[in-house]
Amino acid sequence: MAHEKQLNRTGWFFILPSSILLLFFIVYPIFYSFYLSFTSTRGIVSQFVGFKNYVRMFGDPMFFLALKNTFTLLLIQVPIMLVLSITFAAVLNNKKVRFRGFFRTAIFLPAVTSLIAYSILFKMLFSYDGLINNTLLSLSIIDSPLQWMTTPKLATFVLILAMIWRWTGYNMIFYLSAMQNISEDLYEAASIDGASKVRTFFTITIPLLKPIILFTTVMSTIGTLQLFDEPMNLSQGGTTSSMVGPDNVFLTLSVYIYNICFKYTPNFGYAATVSYAILLIIALLTFVQFTLSRDKEEVMRRRIEKETKKMVKEGLR
Amino acid sequence: MKKSVSILLVLLALVTPLFATGATEAKDAGPITIWAWDPNFNISIMNEAISRYQANNPEATFEVVELAKADVEQKLHTNLASRTTQGLPDIVLIEDYNVQKYLTSYPGQFADLTSSFNYNDFVGYKADVMKLDGKYYGVPFDSGVSGLFYRTDLLEKAGFVPKDLENITWNRLADISKEYKAKTGEYFLANGKDDGGLFRIMLQSAGSWYFDNKGQPDLIGNAALKEAMQIYKRFVVEDLALPTNGWTEWVSAFNSGKVASVTTGVWIIGSIKAAEDQSGLWAVAPTPRLSTAASVNASNLGGSSWFVLQNGASKDKAIAFLKEVYGSDKDFYQTILVNNGAIGSYMPAFKGDAFAKKDAFFGNRAIFADLSKWASMVPKVNVGQYTYEADAAVMGVMEDFYTGKTSIDQTVEAAQKQLVNTIQ
Repeated sequence: MAHEKQLNRTGWFFILPSSILLLFFIVYPIFYSFYLSFTSTRGIVSQFVGFKNYVRMFGDPMFFLALKNTFTLLLIQVPIMLVLSITFAAVLNNKKVRFRGFFRTAIFLPAVTSLIAYSILFKMLFSYDGLINNTLLSLSIIDSPLQWMTTPKLATFVLILAMIWRWTGYNMIFYLSAMQNISEDLYEAASIDGASKVRTFFTITIPLLKPIILFTTVMSTIGTLQLFDEPMNLSQGGTTSSMVGPDNVFLTLSVYIYNICFKYTPNFGYAATVSYAILLIIALLTFVQFTLSRDKEEVMRRRIEKETKKMVKEGLR
Repeated sequence: MKKSVSILLVLLALVTPLFATGATEAKDAGPITIWAWDPNFNISIMNEAISRYQANNPEATFEVVELAKADVEQKLHTNLASRTTQGLPDIVLIEDYNVQKYLTSYPGQFADLTSSFNYNDFVGYKADVMKLDGKYYGVPFDSGVSGLFYRTDLLEKAGFVPKDLENITWNRLADISKEYKAKTGEYFLANGKDDGGLFRIMLQSAGSWYFDNKGQPDLIGNAALKEAMQIYKRFVVEDLALPTNGWTEWVSAFNSGKVASVTTGVWIIGSIKAAEDQSGLWAVAPTPRLSTAASVNASNLGGSSWFVLQNGASKDKAIAFLKEVYGSDKDFYQTILVNNGAIGSYMPAFKGDAFAKKDAFFGNRAIFADLSKWASMVPKVNVGQYTYEADAAVMGVMEDFYTGKTSIDQTVEAAQKQLVNTIQ
């Protein structure tokens, strides 16, 4: 018993430094920013306003615009990216494909580039006299240069394309490693039963990847809701311009928070309110995603139970 | 167990000096620290000022920190908001549009310089920017007096003469751009349709701003604003301006000769001169005006000023330095005019030889004589503290105006609604 106590004390001692750091740099800011969200600040001039910031947020067209932009990205970019990642992973997991190592590295490589660098690169590629316009012109696909970065819809397209380029390989690695953990026996058994490749993919690979799919979906959702670097750098001039992208299409929630803090008269209180809105949305979406996947699991389990019972019954007969 | 304790102690011993040095540094009034952006302009000018000061005061030491403009702003905000006095510079450069924002957001943090400088010596609209409750808090630095810079050769090719650009209205400029484009197939100017720069030039030329003199939003019923919106719409709908996205593209538009003109602040001269092959081909005409009665052919864009931090370790030394160079050295202003194309705000220096100097790049014209004359004509406006909020509110609704989805009155109302919500 005394030994156990001693062990406990040593244990606590070891986690003490990280606990203290956690307390100061994570826990304290969380609570402090919650308090902040009930104050209205102008630099160091601050006053407690109760729920006024939250009321203000619901009447703030700019906030809803940021919300809309963020969700547009979420609903278009994340599904395309995840489907692409899983497809690439499936192809590259096939032992018959040659130069697998090369393709794997090539597709993953964008994930190690700096967020700023690739944003600027895409901005250059799609500028009015950039490589893309020049190529399309010389191939006579278009008659006059497209205004990629100054037309709202095209700019959104460029942002989505850039994000897909940057993050597909990153997600692919998760799928690939999960696929390699799936036992070969299953595929062998399926092929003996005469299942086609497509059939095995949808009935073996996808169901077994479910935890990873959930994980990548949740992570991508969180990442998109906090999206900052790409829109900030693709838009013109960052803090000096009047808008974030044409017609403000690059105004995501995080960019809006930045603007409230650093571009406009600094209102850290209202910025905290908006960041709590993001927190709530993320929590809600994650909860929904978890519930959906759990439901499916239960449905599946019930179906299996039912089938087994049926089979047992039939067997008994 | 013992081992881990000693490891922890070693770690603590290693970390403590990091905090300790920070504290001692601030107490010891070391060099005068200065934060600014733009190595070719602000930093280079500050270094010139320092070397002049050190010639008379060899004991003075300086540390000039070059940062990006956004970084200066962000660092200043975070440092001031955290209420620490350490890590702050003694002198900092602040853009004029942001001055009131800092002064009202961080009261007591900037030194009151009212008795240190004679503010009648500075251009009126610059000094006004840094005035709060009757006190002056900064040293007016570069003027952003604007001009219509253009290529004489390209203008001639399209069948125009320089006189066609003298003292015109913006609508006339749009007509010229249209004719120019019809004749040459090129654009006369470049403008980002959501960039508020030109917009602010138009407003200030009419002595108007997004706010009235009491600082209240003044969008609905603002004739100058509506005219500026219509001109922006002409540029977009009639395709009169090369659409550019951001500073780099905008600058390369005239550096590469794709467009024949640029209307902006005088600080652009450095960038114009970067295209050395265009030497002798440039000239400058007065800024176009709005047709509103009050509008004149002179305006301003940007410009910034120096501020001294109240709690800086070298506050008094910093003020003495600024006073000796920026507040009295006429020769200094001549030098930076020649070297950097910088028009200061110190009026006694406007009469020097450098202002009459003919510039070979601008076809041997005395462009600075013209620009400094325009600088004294610029109407005063109360820019207030919410310029960027207003800019965002107005530019944010312009797309619907361009496409015809909203009428001009609906657009202005939407902008006003957004602005009122943002600045509450």
